[in-house]
Amino acid sequence: MKIRRKYLFYALAFASAIITAGVSAIDATIIAFHIPDPWAFGLSCFLVGTIITLLIVLVFSIPVKGKSLGSKIIDPSFKRLRLVRKEELKYHIPAAVGNSALTIGYFALLSILGDPSAVIPFSQIVILYLIIIESIIEKDMPTLSEIQSSLIVTFGAILGSISLTGGINLQSLAIVFLVINPAWVLFSIYQRKLKLIKIDNKPNDALNIRFWNVVFACIFTTVIVFMYDALIGTNHFIMGITASIEHFNWVALTMGITFFSLVFYIRALGIGKASVTQAVKASSVLFAIPFSLVISYFNIIPPFSTDPVMILIKIIGTTLVILGIVSFALALVKAYVFISVKPGYPIEETMKELWNIRGVTRVAATAGKYDFMVKIRIRTLVKGYEKIIRKLEGIEAINKYKWESVLKEWEEI
Amino acid sequence: MINAYILLTMRPGNSNNTIKEMRKIENVEKISVVAGEYDIVVRVHVKDLEKLLEVTNEIQMVDGVKKTTTQVIEKEIAL
Repeated sequence: MKIRRKYLFYALAFASAIITAGVSAIDATIIAFHIPDPWAFGLSCFLVGTIITLLIVLVFSIPVKGKSLGSKIIDPSFKRLRLVRKEELKYHIPAAVGNSALTIGYFALLSILGDPSAVIPFSQIVILYLIIIESIIEKDMPTLSEIQSSLIVTFGAILGSISLTGGINLQSLAIVFLVINPAWVLFSIYQRKLKLIKIDNKPNDALNIRFWNVVFACIFTTVIVFMYDALIGTNHFIMGITASIEHFNWVALTMGITFFSLVFYIRALGIGKASVTQAVKASSVLFAIPFSLVISYFNIIPPFSTDPVMILIKIIGTTLVILGIVSFALALVKAYVFISVKPGYPIEETMKELWNIRGVTRVAATAGKYDFMVKIRIRTLVKGYEKIIRKLEGIEAINKYKWESVLKEWEEI
Repeated sequence: MINAYILLTMRPGNSNNTIKEMRKIENVEKISVVAGEYDIVVRVHVKDLEKLLEVTNEIQMVDGVKKTTTQVIEKEIAL
């Protein structure tokens, strides 16, 4: 089936956002009634999560008419559960460190604030971090629209979070800015790198990436919690093991659903830029509200404030997050550049020079009227001129080039 | 396996239908509507040159296609 790649990207990112919102309501319930300690909950999540994820991936490995169930339903690149490859390790380790810190930080925040619709907006501030990271990696200044969008989302998230009590908890802010968001950046960047590498000459699949991420995060969390206990004298490790056994069903439920949220997220990361994926996923802020209303109705969390000022702050915060998402996600320009080269210059070297230009996502040496077909992905046309055309003009081998802006695109996925 | 780009110049008219027809063609991986010298860039993935000829022929038969230019990919680097 040929669908617009953009539609699949948005479908995956939105599905991930809705599931995230639902899972946070389940997490809030577990924290309120079963595992109040964030360290123990974090550890039990990875211990139980490893078992649950293994079972899910094994089910998706079942072959049906020559293809695995997972390749038909979740990710066409998936064949079966496989061992982690050597080339993946350097990405799996930082991604697992990110996931581990992110999970414990998230549970700590949820245990302080209680309400998922107050916690989720805080985790969206990661957009600001991603813009900074992408700017450093791509040696590129962010555009005004990127800065505007990420600030709008950040302020919207902060407003959404303070709307319940009218105040800001400094401890929760420290967790948000120093633990959750940096960890999410690490997790997000390396998950994307994992999705983009080729395994046996085929794109890496989201299911194996998720499974191995949980395995490595489990190892890392176990070590960290054990060391923390040994240094401080607490017993989070024992509590985590006990919680995994006593509340296995609850933890398995949250990890099972989280699996799908993350698999969709990883697939979306493989299609779009990390910051855009995160921008769309930020809509979980909106989706968290009905889930929070449901759990507050059942007295799992304190009831929502009926103060009109607080409700207004919540509406403004949510609106800002959505506005930031839309303006961010829509500002993406794609183009082809067709290039003819002068004789006497080696193709391989010119290819490398073209590939080194930031914003170039594909370089194809071709036989025909043109020598190279280059695919570009940038945030604005101005950047196209400043960052790409100027660089192309600096490559001696290029005789002439043609810029063709992409207006619409469909892709076989 | 062979990958190729087919650059299309279109006759003015109902481009929506033309694209719809092209989306039905097997081996077509990507269709990009572009602004510039060409109107559409199609990426195809075929098993051999004979199949490429077949696909090019199918594209040329689509109503609205005026001219095609084929670029066969010899080497590629991609994200």
